[in-house]
Amino acid sequence: MTRFVARRIAQAVLVLLVATLAIFLATFALGDPFASTGEKVVPPEVQAIDRAKFGLDKPLPVQYLTYLGNLVHLDFGVDFDQRRQVSSMLAETLPNTIRLALVAIALDVLIGVIAGVIAAVKRYSFTDVLVTVSSTLAIGVPTFVIGLVLVGYVSGLWIFPVVPRSFTVQVPWWHEVLLPAFTLAIIDAAFIARLMRGSMLEVLRSDYIRTARSKGLPERVVIGKHAMRNSMIPVVTYVGISLGVLMGGAIITETIFQYNGIGYLLARAIQANNAPVIMAVVVVSVVVFVLLSLLVDILYAYLDPRIRLD
Amino acid sequence: MRKIRTGTVLTLAALLSLVPAGCAKRPNVGTQNGGVPLVGFPQTPPPPHVPGKPGGVFRLGIVEPVAIDPYNSQESEGNLVTENLFTELINVGPDGSVSPGVATSWTSNPDCSQWIFTLQHGTTFHNGEPVDSVAFKRGWERAAARSAASEVAYHMNEVQGFDAMQAGAADHLSGVDASAPDRLVVTLAHPDCEFYLRTFKTVFSPVPTVAGPADNKAYNDQPIGNGPFMMAGPWQHDRGIRLKRFDGYAAGPKANLAEVDITILPSQSAAQGEYDGFNNGTFDWARLPTPLLSQARATYQPRGEWISKKTAGINYLLPMVTTPPLNSVAARKAISEAIDRVAIARGVFQGSQVPADAFVPPALPDAYQSGVCTACRYDPADAKKLAQQAGLAPGSTVNFQFNTGGGHEEWTAAVTQQLKRNLGLNVNYSGVPFTDLLNNEQQPGASGIFRAAWGADYPTPGNFLQPLLSTGAIGANSPSQPATGDNRGRYSNPRFDQLLAQAAATPDKGQRITLYQQAEQLAIGQDLAEIPLWFRQQFRLANTMKFANMYLDFAEEPTLAEITLR
Repeated sequence: MTRFVARRIAQAVLVLLVATLAIFLATFALGDPFASTGEKVVPPEVQAIDRAKFGLDKPLPVQYLTYLGNLVHLDFGVDFDQRRQVSSMLAETLPNTIRLALVAIALDVLIGVIAGVIAAVKRYSFTDVLVTVSSTLAIGVPTFVIGLVLVGYVSGLWIFPVVPRSFTVQVPWWHEVLLPAFTLAIIDAAFIARLMRGSMLEVLRSDYIRTARSKGLPERVVIGKHAMRNSMIPVVTYVGISLGVLMGGAIITETIFQYNGIGYLLARAIQANNAPVIMAVVVVSVVVFVLLSLLVDILYAYLDPRIRLD
Repeated sequence: MRKIRTGTVLTLAALLSLVPAGCAKRPNVGTQNGGVPLVGFPQTPPPPHVPGKPGGVFRLGIVEPVAIDPYNSQESEGNLVTENLFTELINVGPDGSVSPGVATSWTSNPDCSQWIFTLQHGTTFHNGEPVDSVAFKRGWERAAARSAASEVAYHMNEVQGFDAMQAGAADHLSGVDASAPDRLVVTLAHPDCEFYLRTFKTVFSPVPTVAGPADNKAYNDQPIGNGPFMMAGPWQHDRGIRLKRFDGYAAGPKANLAEVDITILPSQSAAQGEYDGFNNGTFDWARLPTPLLSQARATYQPRGEWISKKTAGINYLLPMVTTPPLNSVAARKAISEAIDRVAIARGVFQGSQVPADAFVPPALPDAYQSGVCTACRYDPADAKKLAQQAGLAPGSTVNFQFNTGGGHEEWTAAVTQQLKRNLGLNVNYSGVPFTDLLNNEQQPGASGIFRAAWGADYPTPGNFLQPLLSTGAIGANSPSQPATGDNRGRYSNPRFDQLLAQAAATPDKGQRITLYQQAEQLAIGQDLAEIPLWFRQQFRLANTMKFANMYLDFAEEPTLAEITLR
C-alpha cells in the first residue's frame, strides 16, 4: 500500500512537470501579454517595465525554472492584469467549484445508480426502455444547451436565483449551486445509468448471486448488498474521473450561470491572456485529478478484495 | 489615445438584403428628408432635468475593470468607477463643454507653457483630508513614477519632468509647483493651449496621503477619493463594486443616489448580460447586443427607456498613403466614393449607424463641419473616373484587412463587394486578430486599407487630428521603420502640421477651432488621408420609471452624480 502510494505520487510529480511545461509553452506561444491589444494602447517603455517586472525578458528555460521554484513554495505569483495574488483568487473560487462538483456528483450518482439498477432488475420492461432512451438523449444534448435552457426558463423561479443577479443580492449557496449542478449531472447520470445497468446485468448472471439466491436470501439483500457492491466498480472509476474533471472547473457551465468557480476564472484568464492564472488553474486541476485517481485505485481494493495494490 | 476594437455585430440576413441596394448616384451627405435623416437611429434629447431628492439604489452591470485606482484606471469599466470616486481640476459635460471641478479657474501664460489652476477652498477627500495642490502633485507623481508602470500616465507627457520620472531618473515632477495650497502651477515641456482639457482624465486625480505608492494593494481595491461617491467596502473582485454617496462632497452638487451597485459580469457576453439583467429587473441601466438594437429600440423607445447619443468617435478606413496603390488622392477618393454608406447602414446595420461626412464628429458641435469630406458621397461613376485617373484599373489588387471577433465581418464584406462591383478591383480581403491588425498596419511595406475606429480622450478636434494625422505621430524615423505612433497611414503634410502647431499655440478657443477646421479641410477634404465611414453612436436602456436625469456623459458613462429617484 505505502509503496503503491509512493509510486503514484512520484508519477503525479512527473505528470505535473509535463503538464506545467506544456501549458507554459502554450501560454508563451499566445504571445506577449503586454503588447497593445487595442482596448489599451500601451506605450513601449511601459511594456518594457512590465516585462522586466514579470521576468519575461529572461530566456524561457529560466522563466520556467523560476516558476517551478516558486511553485514549490506554493507561490503562484500575481496576475498580469491587476497584480492580484493568484493564490487568493484560487482560494476564493476553488471552494465554489468543489461545492459544485460534489453536489453534481451526488446528484448524478443518485439518479444514475437508481435508474441503472431498476433498469437492470426489470430488464426489457417499460422502465428499462425509458431509462435507455432518456439516457441516450441526455448524452446527446450538449451541456451548454441544457445550461442555456435552464437559465432562460428556470432561473428566477422558486429558489433559483436570476441570471445575472446583482452581487448585493445574497442567496444561500445551495440555491446558487443547484441549477449548474443539475446541468452538469445530467450527462454523467446518463452515463452512470448505462454503466450500472450493464455491469449489474453481468453480475446478476454470476455464480455467487445464484448461490446467494439459493441460500434463500431476500432479493433486497441479493441486489442491494451482493450485486450492487460488485457492479459499482466501473461506476466508481467513472465517478472518480468525472469528479476530477469537474474539480478542474466546468468552464462552460460556470460561465453560463456566472458561477464564481475556477472554470469561470480560467475562461476569463484565457480571454485576457493572463498566463499566471491559466497556469495556476491547470496546476490545481492536475493535482486534484491525480489525487482523485489515486483514491479511486484504493477504493477498488476495498470494493473487490481480489484486487491487490502491490 | 483610444483605439476601439469592438464595433457592431450584424446578421447575415441583413447582409443579404444589401445586395439589390444602391446603384443610383445618391449623396451620403444630404441624407436629410425634411430634417429627418434617412438612416441612423436619431439621438434622444438630453433628459429634462428633475430636481434631485436623496436616496435610491442604482444598479448596473460591467465587466471586471483592469483598475479603479486613478493611477491605472483605463477602460470604460474602470473609468466609470474612478470618475465617480474622484473629481479632477475640470469637469466635462455630456456635450464636451468644460466647467470647473476642483479648480475654480485656470489661465496660462501667452505661449501656453505655464498653467495656473486656482483651487476651491475647503473640499476634502472621503476621509476628511483636505484637497489642496499638494494632493494633486502627489496623485500625478504617483502615476508618473517609473515603478508604477501606469498605462495611462502618457496623458501627462507634456508636463515638464515627466520624461525624467518615467526613466526613473527623478522622483518628482519638476514642472508641478504646489507651494501654495490653493494654487497649482504646471510648467509644460511642450507648450499646449489645450493642456487644461487633459486634466479631466482620471490619471490627473488628487490622492490623499494614505494612498502610498501605486502598488499599495489596499488603496488599489478601495481608493479614497474626493468625488461625489465613495467606496462602500473594498472591490469584490469578479463579483461587484458598491459605491455610496459622499455626504461631505463640496467640489460640486452632491450626488442624489444613496448607493450604486455595480455587478461584475462575464466579459464574454457582457452586453447580453446587461440586457438580460435589465429585462429581469436586476439592472436599471444596460448596453445592448448589436443584433438586438432594432428590436430593443422598437420595444423600449415608446416607453421612454431608450437613450441614443452620438459620442466623440469615428469609424473609418485607414488607407496607407505612402505605398501604392493608395498613394494618390484620386485613388483614395475613388475607394471612398465607391462605398455606398447608406446601403450598408440600412442593410447591415438595420439603420442604426449614421454615415459620416466628416472626420471630426458632430459630438464636438463647435468643430464639426458637415460635408467637409467631399468624397464621402456615393458616386460610382465619378469613382470610376477617379480610379482611372489614379491608375487603379479594374483588376488591380487592393489589400483590405479587418480584425475578427469585433463584429466587423459583415460590413467589411459588404464594402469589399461594392469595391469589386463599382471599381472592378481585386480586393485581397482578410480578417486577422486585433493585435495582428495593429502590427500589420505598422509595417513599412503595408498597403491598402485597414478597418479602424477612434474615440476621443479630450473634447477637442485636436485629439482626432494630431494623433492620427500629424507627421510627429507616425513614430518612425524613416519609411523603412515600423510606425510606432498612432498615425499608421503615414500621412505627412507640412502645411497640416503647421496648422496644428498653430492651433496648439492659440489661446483663444474660437480661433483654435478655426485652425483645426482648416486642418481637417486639408487632410480630409483635400487629401482624404482617412476614409470616414460612420459616426460613433451609443445606445442604452435606462429605467426611467424609477429614476430621472439619466444620460451618457462625454466618456460614454451614465451620469451617476446627477441621477435621482423620481
